[in-house]
Amino acid sequence: MKRFKPTLSHLSRRTFLQATAALGGASALGLRDAYAQEPEKPAEIIVRAWGGSWVDSLKAGVSDSFTKMTGIAVRHDLTEDNEIQPKVWAAVAQKRVPPIHINWDTTTNATKSALRGVTEDLSDLPNLANVTDLAKPAGLEGFPIVNTYGYVYVLAYRPAAFPDGPPKSWKDLLDPKFKGRLAFYNDGIGFHFPAQVAGGGKLEDIPGNMQPAWDFITKMKAQQPLLGEDPDFTTWFQNGEIDAACTISTNAREARKNGVKIDWVVPEEGAKFDTDGLWIPKGLPENELYWAKQYINHALTKEAQQVWLDGLGLPGVVPGLTPPKDLVGDPSYPTTEADFQRLIRISSKIQVENESEWFSKFKAIMQG
Amino acid sequence: MRAARTAYPLKWRIMDALEGVAAAIWPARFGRATPYLMLLPAVLLVGLLVLGLIQIADASLRTLDTTTFQFSDDYSIANFRRALTEPLFLVVAQRSLVAALIVTAVTLVFAFPYAYLMVRTRSPGLRKFLLIALFLPFFIGQVVRAYGWLIILGNQGMVNEALGLVGVAPMRLIYNYPAVLFGLVQYMLPFAVLMLAPALTAIPEELEAAAGSLGANWVRTFIHVVLPLARPGFIGAGVVVLTLSLTDFAVPAILGGGSQDFIANAIYDQFFRTSDQGLGAMLALMLVALGSILVGLVFALFGAGTLAMGRSRV
Repeated sequence: MKRFKPTLSHLSRRTFLQATAALGGASALGLRDAYAQEPEKPAEIIVRAWGGSWVDSLKAGVSDSFTKMTGIAVRHDLTEDNEIQPKVWAAVAQKRVPPIHINWDTTTNATKSALRGVTEDLSDLPNLANVTDLAKPAGLEGFPIVNTYGYVYVLAYRPAAFPDGPPKSWKDLLDPKFKGRLAFYNDGIGFHFPAQVAGGGKLEDIPGNMQPAWDFITKMKAQQPLLGEDPDFTTWFQNGEIDAACTISTNAREARKNGVKIDWVVPEEGAKFDTDGLWIPKGLPENELYWAKQYINHALTKEAQQVWLDGLGLPGVVPGLTPPKDLVGDPSYPTTEADFQRLIRISSKIQVENESEWFSKFKAIMQG
Repeated sequence: MRAARTAYPLKWRIMDALEGVAAAIWPARFGRATPYLMLLPAVLLVGLLVLGLIQIADASLRTLDTTTFQFSDDYSIANFRRALTEPLFLVVAQRSLVAALIVTAVTLVFAFPYAYLMVRTRSPGLRKFLLIALFLPFFIGQVVRAYGWLIILGNQGMVNEALGLVGVAPMRLIYNYPAVLFGLVQYMLPFAVLMLAPALTAIPEELEAAAGSLGANWVRTFIHVVLPLARPGFIGAGVVVLTLSLTDFAVPAILGGGSQDFIANAIYDQFFRTSDQGLGAMLALMLVALGSILVGLVFALFGAGTLAMGRSRV
């Protein structure tokens, strides 16, 4: 999945100062002594990340404060998550040191690596005691991955194209006036499950019977939608190529920050909720593994999460985080049980086991 | 003595030294093997390619277990069967093949007059201009050029803005099959001109003059003299454009709006999206086979053209 945001997020100066002050205080209270007992520090650790505001947010929220706390530099490797995966798998298979210390990854992708057995166990991270259930990867033993936040594949739209009010259903996109004016991810990710509901099917039937989803996607194909990746959505909205898209709320929010008049909803059929996480590949030297774990542990502190996720506009896994002002009460920033009931969450294990087939089906329909 | 050393030029002494080194590394008694030594770089290059293909062939016969994301220890033809039966792969294969044929035909039609003018013009200024215009695109990568077309042909691009000035509403000029074909032709044109130019240079101008003096107008001269003699260039250019178009990735990805994938895009998806390197490897092998068969057919029917380095049958 490609993620690139063309402009920097505007992190709250106050939030950043609060986070760094808290870290400084913690450091003064004894963490420095604790680290004195720690294994040898590497000169740097390498964290694979998505570019643009994604990496800027990570740097501001997690990496900079980690460096300040430990003295270890953090290098961000912007290789695509899909493309780093075979390199890491090959390194582990050949018993080489992997090219990165930490992979910031979609939970679905990370689950593939966990199933393959190339991930280190993270169950011993102290800060896991303070996280919500969202941090635990569904359907996997232990913590081969730690989910760090969730996100929603919303229906983003140009208000000018919906003069009668926001779309209420995914079916609204079947209006002929939107022919050639819609966009989806090119593998259909984010749309399979709402399409199952919009097509008259049940979520419980996933993955056994997804014919309703394929029927609905076939109807949507007649609308000749554009198919792309995260950066495409922002570009297409900015260039007036599309009126609506199924995309991650962060992309829609970024487009709005760039001056595009855009809004988003969670339609009545629901929207897919998913998570991203951090994991460590096997094969690192002991001391580097230790410090990589410390990085992830640090990413699970309230202070780091607040700054990092303010930038992304996404709900974290630590209780008590303050939503960004523009997202208070927003359906793409679920905080209550009622919010989550409108969203669709399917176990990562089911997703990865069937993803290849779903992608092929979606592509076969759209490429036909 | 000193005068003699001065008279013996430095360059000669360097050459003597180099010859000494060469004789030490490759003694004269190995002389009969020297021509084979010249083949070494090519053998190494092809050898690496073959090694890669062997590995790809091995991977293509292993299936992915999506409960462990490990590949099977046993060989099977499951990936081969999937590649031949899943509608998606048939669609993208057909689209790639048809596009390669159309792009080749259109590119040759456009490339010929360009190459002919470049070779035959008596104006050095015009020849330089055509050469610069030919080579300039090589300095701009394929991806950048494709993005350039997005800017020019997009909804808010130059073309639609110009149409707007005469009251025409913006229309979708990109993200469709014709846009992909257009982008490929534009990308392939310099390759075709470069392959055609040597063949046209090899046609003596006197032949055209002789045809004219015997009463042929320029159309008859063109059809009966120039075109047949330019055939090696057409074959060479056609083979290059055909294979490059068939295997292209960037233009369909950028100008196709996600719905005009070629085989290369499908291979990428298998390697990097679904992690099914076995199926990706099988598709890659089938693409190599398809390209090889097409080139083999062209060679069998028409010879190797300029690619035969003057040894083709004309």
